[in-house]
Amino acid sequence: MSLRALWIIYNEKGENASIRFSRRFSTVEHRAKSLAGSSYVAVPEDSSFLQLLLTELGLSGSHKSYVAARDDCLYRPRSPAVELRLDGKGTLWPVLALSQAPLILACLPLVDIPSEPRPPLANLLSVSQGLTFLAGLQTFLLGSAGNLDSEGLVSRMATLPSLLLQVCPLGTLLDTPQAVTPTAPTVPTSAGAQKQPAWKTGLHRGRAMVNVAVVETVRSMQYGSPTRQDLWDVYGTVTCKCEVEGVLPNVTVTLSLPHNGSPLQDILVHPCVTSLDSSILTASSVDNADGSAFSGPYKFPFSPPLEPFRLCSYTSQVPVPPILGSYQLKEEENNLRLSVSLKLHESVKNSFEYCAAHLPFFNRNQMGVVDVKVSSGQLDVSKEKNLLVWVLGQKFPKSHEVTMDGKITFSGSSQGPSDPLCTGLTAYIKQLYLKVPDTTLSGCFVDQHSVQVYSSAKPRIITSRELLSKEYYIWNSTGPAPVSSGQMMI
Amino acid sequence: MAPNWTERISAFCRSPSGFLSGTNPEAFLSELLRELRDDRASYGVKVLLLSPLCEYAGLLCATGCAGEETALDLMSVFAQCPTRWAQFRCHLLVALTGVLVCSSCASGRSRASLDFLDLLLQIAQDAGDLHGDGAQRCLRATACDCLREMEASCPGLLSQRLELLAGLRQQESCRLHQAYVGLQVLVLRNAVYQLTQEAGAGAAHLKALLGGNTSAWEAEQEAEQEASQADGGDSAVQSSLVLGPMGRVPSLHTGPDCKELRSVLSSLLEESYLLTPLCQAALFHRLIELVAMVPGIPPSILRAQLLRLLGTNEVCLLHVTLLMKCAFTDSLFSAEDEAFLLKRLVVLSQHPLLSAPDKLFYMDCILHFPENRPIGCGDSDEALPVLLTPQLASALLPTVFNDSATLLARLNLQALVYLEEEGEEEGEEEGRGLAYIYEHLTALLHIVEGGGSRDIVVTFFRAAYLFLSYFHRVEQYSALLSQQLCRLYLLHTQLAPNILNLVQQTLHSLAGCSWAVGLLRGLQGAITEAPLDQLTLPDLSCHLRVLARVAEEAKISQRSSLGFLSAVVTRSSLRASGDWRLGNGVLGVCRRLLLHPSLDSLLIPLADILLHLACNYGDTDIQDHARLYYALLTTVSWEKLSAVLAQSAAEGGGQVKRPTLSGVMAESEGLVHTLSVHRAETAVFQLSEARPQPQPQTGGPPLAQDEGGGALEAYRAQFREAGSAPQITLQYRLTHTEPPHPRFEQLFSIRLHFSLTDQNYEQLQDVSVPCLFTQRPAPVLRLTLTPRQPYPTTIHVSAVFTSSDGLTWHAPVPDIHVSFQHTFLPLPVPPAWSRARREELFQELWEEMCGEASGCAVSLFCCQLGGAALKALLQEHFLPFLLSHPSQEDGFWVLLFLPPRSHLLLKISCEEDAVQFNMATDNWQLLPHINAYLLRITCAQDLPVT
Repeated sequence: MSLRALWIIYNEKGENASIRFSRRFSTVEHRAKSLAGSSYVAVPEDSSFLQLLLTELGLSGSHKSYVAARDDCLYRPRSPAVELRLDGKGTLWPVLALSQAPLILACLPLVDIPSEPRPPLANLLSVSQGLTFLAGLQTFLLGSAGNLDSEGLVSRMATLPSLLLQVCPLGTLLDTPQAVTPTAPTVPTSAGAQKQPAWKTGLHRGRAMVNVAVVETVRSMQYGSPTRQDLWDVYGTVTCKCEVEGVLPNVTVTLSLPHNGSPLQDILVHPCVTSLDSSILTASSVDNADGSAFSGPYKFPFSPPLEPFRLCSYTSQVPVPPILGSYQLKEEENNLRLSVSLKLHESVKNSFEYCAAHLPFFNRNQMGVVDVKVSSGQLDVSKEKNLLVWVLGQKFPKSHEVTMDGKITFSGSSQGPSDPLCTGLTAYIKQLYLKVPDTTLSGCFVDQHSVQVYSSAKPRIITSRELLSKEYYIWNSTGPAPVSSGQMMI
Repeated sequence: MAPNWTERISAFCRSPSGFLSGTNPEAFLSELLRELRDDRASYGVKVLLLSPLCEYAGLLCATGCAGEETALDLMSVFAQCPTRWAQFRCHLLVALTGVLVCSSCASGRSRASLDFLDLLLQIAQDAGDLHGDGAQRCLRATACDCLREMEASCPGLLSQRLELLAGLRQQESCRLHQAYVGLQVLVLRNAVYQLTQEAGAGAAHLKALLGGNTSAWEAEQEAEQEASQADGGDSAVQSSLVLGPMGRVPSLHTGPDCKELRSVLSSLLEESYLLTPLCQAALFHRLIELVAMVPGIPPSILRAQLLRLLGTNEVCLLHVTLLMKCAFTDSLFSAEDEAFLLKRLVVLSQHPLLSAPDKLFYMDCILHFPENRPIGCGDSDEALPVLLTPQLASALLPTVFNDSATLLARLNLQALVYLEEEGEEEGEEEGRGLAYIYEHLTALLHIVEGGGSRDIVVTFFRAAYLFLSYFHRVEQYSALLSQQLCRLYLLHTQLAPNILNLVQQTLHSLAGCSWAVGLLRGLQGAITEAPLDQLTLPDLSCHLRVLARVAEEAKISQRSSLGFLSAVVTRSSLRASGDWRLGNGVLGVCRRLLLHPSLDSLLIPLADILLHLACNYGDTDIQDHARLYYALLTTVSWEKLSAVLAQSAAEGGGQVKRPTLSGVMAESEGLVHTLSVHRAETAVFQLSEARPQPQPQTGGPPLAQDEGGGALEAYRAQFREAGSAPQITLQYRLTHTEPPHPRFEQLFSIRLHFSLTDQNYEQLQDVSVPCLFTQRPAPVLRLTLTPRQPYPTTIHVSAVFTSSDGLTWHAPVPDIHVSFQHTFLPLPVPPAWSRARREELFQELWEEMCGEASGCAVSLFCCQLGGAALKALLQEHFLPFLLSHPSQEDGFWVLLFLPPRSHLLLKISCEEDAVQFNMATDNWQLLPHINAYLLRITCAQDLPVT
């Protein structure tokens, strides 16, 4: 349940990777030695560790197309735990590695059960703890938004030694790294029986406020083919920010569904939720849902941490996708004829914050003449001349249907981008951007009056909901579409 | 002197072995400690100085003696450090823990470790931070963690303090209670484990343990602890006790009456919610172990937490739930719970909000699902849980949008699902599942065809191997795959290494599977039937590589390959280009064909090709080889030919081939082999020190006649006339490393090359040794070093030599270490000088060094030594350097000459209870070295006497 070592590797473009931070835990290493006995494998020095890890992750020797040690077909990297084959000195296992450009985070958990024969990962608690820790470290260093702030990264790296002193001084993991808050007011020792949670860095003083936001995301794969079923799914997250006084205040948030709404499935909750009703957990997307399933209200009693957090997440099976599309391409002599139609389902609120469809074209020259008409919205050709952006604006017309027709000549002088997947007539519309405020597809909502806060001051309560899209693909129905999801077999 | 510590520490951490090759651990450690004690150094630097001790305590304090002293030093630094430097004090505690644990002082219950334990307990109890002093609280948290680490490394260390720790936990209401929980539960777990190991221990013992009245059996227990440590029983206590139904957990029979323990457990469970997820998981893990060890406590005590844990989004909390299931199976989880948990795992393995590593981990958990009633008992093998139906598993079908690790993991899982199906029923269901998997493989293949990245290529071949390893018997798909691979190869010939690797692995691991041979046959067909005109040179060399592999298969007819070769060699453009690589490729195929069992039928076309090459190819080397092959083919019978060639055909393994005819033939590989210098991976022989008698007058200044006058002046005069610099000579024996490799038993013409690792010595000449045989006495060689500075050093050595089979080798030789005492020389004065004159010189030097002269320094070293021990020490280490008479009682004078011209003078005297080494030197930089040296020799002397 401890780490033997921790590394942070900087690897910007796959070139000149270097170790920016490493830490070994001598007492854990001492235990590793006595636990493993004769099968003990020492941790290699940083430079050789780096080389071995890069080879293992397939990141070394990028200019060579085949390297036996890296590309052997027999070998299947059992990510997230990889093994490093040391030159004649045994195998270092399990090394956990998490990559998010430009960093690779790695650690070596202690194996506290006999290591011969090699135990399954599932029997080592230190592995899941290591994963939790690395993910926390990643969020701390790079932020969750994904855009890199390199100055911030440098300064956060500099705080690591003092941070590790708090969260992992001797290799045993106590907490995930978080931005150090300047000594927040803490409980006076006379607070009595109530103990302050270890995950709560301080106490809130001031006006009480509870903010609950429900965000649903819809994904879809539409083929427009009689033999292939279209697919879509919806998942939602409920994010809270609670500013409530007290050491361990009680808050209850209730999710409700409309009258005929299909039950929320696969509910996962934040560890601060104090108790759960078993009926909340029973519905699952991998089951054949029966009509008798529990359909709310879903009550989540919890005691909030100071920072914003994801109270719960769920998935839902909605009967229709919000936008049904069809996409047809026809190759003519020197040009490509295309016709697209998008139809908004009437149950969805026709009021977008934004809505745009992207039509990328791969493995062709740049676009020359674009002779395309749209029935609504506005059409842009990207600067690189390989992408049509169809901005649909805030509203679909009354008919709830928009179309695009026309032809494109790929007569540009230079080659556009290539993609091994979209060859020939295999192509898709990627409807990336879609945001509908104040609605959810599943109908799920949080009533302002259902939020209960057991505290002396009456808090201000804000609730909101919105619908987003992600991975919303509409494939060209005249070309072969790749196998993209297994669910179609059912 | 202000060495740049930031740089030095980072150099050390980057590569401790490299760093320490320039100095030694003792010297570095003493430098660190000196700087830590220095009041002028800033605390920022001091925190940095502690990091080598925190991270590499085992390396720097390898012995108990060193650990104990370092710990005492660090504790005095701690005592003197003002409380406001909380960070530094925390780091100090961490360093101390590392030093005491890694030097085994803690497990030996040494004095320093007991003192440190008291210090930690004192800090942990000091709740004097009422006014929210964050610094003090941070120190307390660190102290708790250090205590926990000491207990984890030396189980049972704190079991007598259980009541105290429980009280501390209950009192604490700020966030720190988490640290006390972790500490208490670990100590409790270890204490209960110890009870299980004691015969006859029961409820009363447990009660006493929790109540703190352990005095009755304390002594007995301690004796046992020591016994268990002596036989290395530590690792069993440290191992996790969460075992499956097949494992045996030691148990403590208490009967149903253990309400004290039960109440402790319930209060810990109640507070579990207040801990961070990582600490919660650790707490539950310890609680599982406790409940498993005490059958008097039913696992249902954990039930109240279950729902909360089953719904969690934290990977470590769900994982610990699985461990609970693993330990308690149906006594805690009903069949319904089991079905629910498995479904939950499937959901989590593909949840859109979870990260890829978490999902992969959950997938691994499915394949090692702790079933209530497992059928197999294979512990490390992947197996599908019975409840995982194809319907359920279909949520985990791979898609082309998966990253490669996910894709392969999903493919593996599906293959297991359908493999099982295949055994059960030959229905339509199975066909569809397999069809889907194959369809997916085809989709991947299309991406590779479309020019996928290297990552996708590698993933595809891994997926193909996975598919074949499960389904190579399903003719319909394996044949299809073979065809598709041939087509793919023609489109992308650069995939030849990947395809050949797939062939090799399937041949190797799927015994009795003819698929690989079929694929090779298909590739041969594809290559030989394709039109030759459009081939580029790189394509052609890939084709030749594939055909060479095809020619190794006895079952494949080689006619079409020959036709292809013949077309290639007669093509005028290629012939004229005379490309050596291409010619070599063709010869490679020909050489394998010479070995083919059906050679008789290939004789004429093969001879034609060789003759054509010999006469017309544009490269002389290729012509020569072709001529040789031709001659062999036409004059030697097949049996003889295969005998000659067989040795070289067995390629791979990096083993040496005999420099015979076959070596010359093997497309020049063998020739290159005999001509090149080979690299031996490990050392073949080593240099071990042969203790010589010190060379009284090696080098040194020429011996002038004593002309009377001041001794010092006369002595100095020698140096003025000196020609060559003084040198030290070391003797080494050259011996084979054990066990000697049979090939290297007899070695000739050995040339040793020495390279220095620092600037302190002049470059060394290479040394030649005529031969080295295992049966003969080891040759002795002398190494003459010319110091620029008399410091210890490490010298890298390498060797070039010839083995008895005529090959030339380059091999590493273990480093040789020149220690500080190697540089000692006796006083370089003429032998005619009397003892009195020498003593006079000593006195004069001493006075000069005690003065103000630059570079001079005096120092004092004390230690406890008996009179006899001191005698023995002098006899052993200082005899050649002793000026005063050995039988003299009041004191001893030792003069060490350190070339090129440093001196170290020692006046050794016995005081009441200690021996004083008064030192004077004209080179103060020698002090740390002499200090370390004295420490080492007196430490060693200590033991036998006291």
